[in-house]
Amino acid sequence: MTPWVEFVVAALIVIGTVFALVGSIGLVKLPDVMTRLHSPTKATTLGVGALLVASIISFYHWKGKLAINELLITLFLFLTAPVAAQFLARAYLHLHCDSAGDLPATNRPCQWSTFQCACPPDAEDGSAAKP
Amino acid sequence: MIAIVIPIGFAGLSLALLLNMIRLVRGPTAVDRILAADTMVINTIALIILYGISQKTTAYFESALLFAMFGFTSTVAYCRFLIRGDIIE
Amino acid sequence: MRLMLIIAIPFFGALLPMLLARAGRRACAIATGLSTLMALVLLLSHAPVISAGQAFAVSHQWVPQVGMDLALRLDGLGLLMAGLILGIGLLIVIYAYHYLGKDESLGAFFTYLLLFQGSMVGIALADNLLSLLVFWEGTSLASFLLIGFWRHLTEGRQGARMALIVTGGGGLALIAGMLLLGDIAGTMTISELTARREAIQQSSRYPLALLLIAVGCFTKSAQFPFHFWLPQAMAAPTPVSAYLHSATMVKAGVFLLARLWPVLSGTEWWFYTIASMGAVTFLLGSVVALFKDDLKALLAYSTISHLGLMTMLLGLGTEAGLIATLLHLLNHAAFKGALFLTVGIIDHETGSRDLRNLGGLWRILPITGAIALLGLAANAGLPPLGGFLSKEMMLEAVSQVSWWGQPHLLTAIAAIAGTFAVAYSARFFAGAFLGEPGADLETAHGPSWGLVGPAALLVVSALAFGVFAQPLAEPILQTAVRGAMGNGDAPTIHLKLWHGVNLPLILSGVAILGGGILAGTFDGWRSLLKRRLAIEGQRVFRACEWQLVSVSRHVTERFHGGSLANYLTWFLVGVLALGGLSVWPSGLRSGDRQLLPINVLALLLITCLAAACLMTILLHRRRLLSVLMANVVGLITSIGFIYFSAPDLALTQISVEVVTLILILLALYFLPKETVAEASPIQRWRDAALAGLCGAAMFALTWVVLSSDGPTDLANYLIEQSKPAGGGSNVVNVILVDFRGFDTFNEIMVLAISALIIYALLDGAMHGAAADKLDHWEHDIPRSPEKHPAMFISFTRALLPLALLVGVYMFLRGHNQPGGGFVAGLVVTIALIVQYMVSGYQWAAERISIDYHSWIGWGILLAAGTGVASMILGYPFLTNAHEHFDLPYLGSLDISSALVFDLGVLMTVVGAVMLALANLSRLGRRAERAAQKAAEAAKLLDRGE
Repeated sequence: MTPWVEFVVAALIVIGTVFALVGSIGLVKLPDVMTRLHSPTKATTLGVGALLVASIISFYHWKGKLAINELLITLFLFLTAPVAAQFLARAYLHLHCDSAGDLPATNRPCQWSTFQCACPPDAEDGSAAKP
Repeated sequence: MIAIVIPIGFAGLSLALLLNMIRLVRGPTAVDRILAADTMVINTIALIILYGISQKTTAYFESALLFAMFGFTSTVAYCRFLIRGDIIE
Repeated sequence: MRLMLIIAIPFFGALLPMLLARAGRRACAIATGLSTLMALVLLLSHAPVISAGQAFAVSHQWVPQVGMDLALRLDGLGLLMAGLILGIGLLIVIYAYHYLGKDESLGAFFTYLLLFQGSMVGIALADNLLSLLVFWEGTSLASFLLIGFWRHLTEGRQGARMALIVTGGGGLALIAGMLLLGDIAGTMTISELTARREAIQQSSRYPLALLLIAVGCFTKSAQFPFHFWLPQAMAAPTPVSAYLHSATMVKAGVFLLARLWPVLSGTEWWFYTIASMGAVTFLLGSVVALFKDDLKALLAYSTISHLGLMTMLLGLGTEAGLIATLLHLLNHAAFKGALFLTVGIIDHETGSRDLRNLGGLWRILPITGAIALLGLAANAGLPPLGGFLSKEMMLEAVSQVSWWGQPHLLTAIAAIAGTFAVAYSARFFAGAFLGEPGADLETAHGPSWGLVGPAALLVVSALAFGVFAQPLAEPILQTAVRGAMGNGDAPTIHLKLWHGVNLPLILSGVAILGGGILAGTFDGWRSLLKRRLAIEGQRVFRACEWQLVSVSRHVTERFHGGSLANYLTWFLVGVLALGGLSVWPSGLRSGDRQLLPINVLALLLITCLAAACLMTILLHRRRLLSVLMANVVGLITSIGFIYFSAPDLALTQISVEVVTLILILLALYFLPKETVAEASPIQRWRDAALAGLCGAAMFALTWVVLSSDGPTDLANYLIEQSKPAGGGSNVVNVILVDFRGFDTFNEIMVLAISALIIYALLDGAMHGAAADKLDHWEHDIPRSPEKHPAMFISFTRALLPLALLVGVYMFLRGHNQPGGGFVAGLVVTIALIVQYMVSGYQWAAERISIDYHSWIGWGILLAAGTGVASMILGYPFLTNAHEHFDLPYLGSLDISSALVFDLGVLMTVVGAVMLALANLSRLGRRAERAAQKAAEAAKLLDRGE
């Protein structure tokens, strides 16, 4: 393996590790759930992406084949991480409705769509967009 | 150079995993714990890839792919349970 | 070969009625009738050769290690029995087609009937003791299905259960007896047993084998004291009663005794066991029959009595007895079958079987009356019918034998039983056909030819066997006797109606006279004796059953009262005790294998694992969180698998984790989300100590196993042979589908059955008490009104093709790289389930057009087909072939036929898991619908105010 490529791979591995570590540190240190949601979903995903790129490069060098699997993993992670984060946030807001009263009132039965928990029990899917 | 970096990578990712465990044990709300579990899955994927690089084999990448898919599915299932209760409506 | 066909045709024909059920009742009946006819024609084509004294035999190896061959032998006795089964079967098919109503499941009925027929012909033709046992149990099972055919009737279900328990229990005794007999004789082939007759009868285990075989035959042929199941079995539809419980199945015991007659008879043991029981049954049956008002019960006891007659004759051990038995076998089948069919006609046309309410049917059902008259005359033994002939022979044979020094005891018993036979036959006829019309005749009308025809045919043959005994009955009897005696030198038989005035004739005359008087003065007798006959066999059976059940329930509740902790405590204590007992003498010693060094990553993993397990315990009362912790434990285990170079295991572990999670969450919706704290501190400390002990024990065991050098030859063999013999370089997958393919096949069958059971149970939850609960379900968590978040939907829609691609990819490469059918199946399942989760059940069910039931079926068929295909080519089951292909663009491919097997596994897994999960969601949807209806009703109520 040429020194150039080795250097790039090593750098990518280090970057990936650092980002993953930062993401997890943030998970432990940040004060509130909503703030804690940011760090792992963004940083860790980026870290894993870097590691995957490192592995693609290194295996291209060792085996001579471009591995599509890893690209697939990368693609997958980049697509799913935001969705998971959004869902987690929604779950948290649903369970902890305390700040729903701070928002100005709307003229709809379900108020702001962020706080679904403030809906009256028999309201329909009025505030959600149809698929 | 890679031979030096790989142990560093392992150490860092292991530490990340440990920190996730701490959040899993501590986190006051359920959402904390679900988030910690999800992050553990992603860190595991990183570990597997690093392991594959260190062993110079591609045999583990399908596992990583499946981990990604299934980690996401379980996170979504938990969240849906919390929000709605009935996960398949 | 043709012998095999005779048995195979009913079994394969059993598939037809269920498939043709959609084409109509007539198609079903024609298919069934044709199968029976073909088998009958094949059978009769052997008749000329067999009447000349030869026999056909064919044999295939089945399980050679235990001496079980599929050996068939057609001799005179087998010809008689099989001819009865198939001939009467054909008539019953015609009768049943006209008897069963339009809304009854004719397809199922004929399937069970053909299964029974195949098993029964198997008993008749079997030459190997063990394969005879297989067919014996087959008849018990088919009889259970047929008796319980009207499963909406309680007596139907109870009768079927009782029949299965009694004949099944007898079957167990028979298995023991046959194995003993085979062991004493040194061979399992029946035709070879005759040659070892002396050795068998001298052996010290001969009485035991004889008793066990006798118990088996007595349960099947309803002899005292096992006779009580037969009247209960009369809850079956009449065609079943006519076929099974008078003409064929109950004769199986008599047939087996006749088959083993040359081997076992002639000793005192044989005589006293079998003749005594037969005589008691003969008498008991005919006495009780007189007191029954239900026509079918009367005929049931009459059958018991006649079977007792045949058993007694066989028990005599003389040639005369054997000949009389075989003649009566033939005659009884004819007239009793006809009588049951007439009862069926009476029941069908008037709706009643009760003698107290019937009467005067002669005017409405004249032809049926004539048939009944002839049949009852044969039953009573009146000349010139066949029944008279066999009765005379019986009396002749019995009068020559003395029982324990009493020369006339058996004769007296026979005479008294004969008197009662005349009495109840007369009572039947007079009560049903003569006299004033009874109360239940509103809906009486004439029966169709399909009902009367078979009965008429049977009774005409009963008449013909008597009147034209020499041309018709004699050759059949001669062939049968020659076959039964085994060694070919049978006495020539002359059947004559008139032997001169001798003892049998006098006794018959006395019986007719006495019976007539009894019948005439019957009502007077009855009221006197009503109180005395209180002990019935079936009440004793029910009492025993009840006692057994209550003792079992008591024991179960003590150990398994519904508290999982209780159950686990007993289980673990038991395991520890047994394990400790086995290890105590020698102790556990650690092996001396080189241990691997610990590195930081492994240490960390173990720490995380321990922490997660601890959290599972600490959070165990909050169910969602404990499930989450369990998932994390699974995740760390998967990492461990990867660390130890087992990617297949890691894949399987993580897939199963997710499926289990979804299952648990579906169920958790209806369960309380928090467990109540119910254990006291003492109990908790006790549980902790027990768990700690078990953990320590497991640790010690695992340490010993891992530190010792295990058997490595097998592991080396598998690794070396995986590519050359198995065709794949992924050893795990090759083991699953090739080396241990049969195991995998069983596993997917278990999976399929579990899924079908889940489906059936959930179906039951849609009715009854569970449905009530669902309809009044109230959520205990606050719910968001948004059912299907849009972002989630649009993303996962794009995910589906990717996931399916991954699934197919893992499937195709499973043989050489980590992957395989099972993991691919789970990936496809999860991909589909996510669509259900995201867009809702309704939306997804409309668009996913996979029928899960048929996928399960096809999966198993494919897997079995792979195995059978290799068998057809001459190799053992599930042998795989592999080939190397060099394709122009795709490169080189290594394909093994295990791919088809893997495809079967995949389809079964997808079908089974999807079936279970999709159906579990029905509970939630039911609750949702009910809640919506309640909400709408509340709204309407509000508006109405």
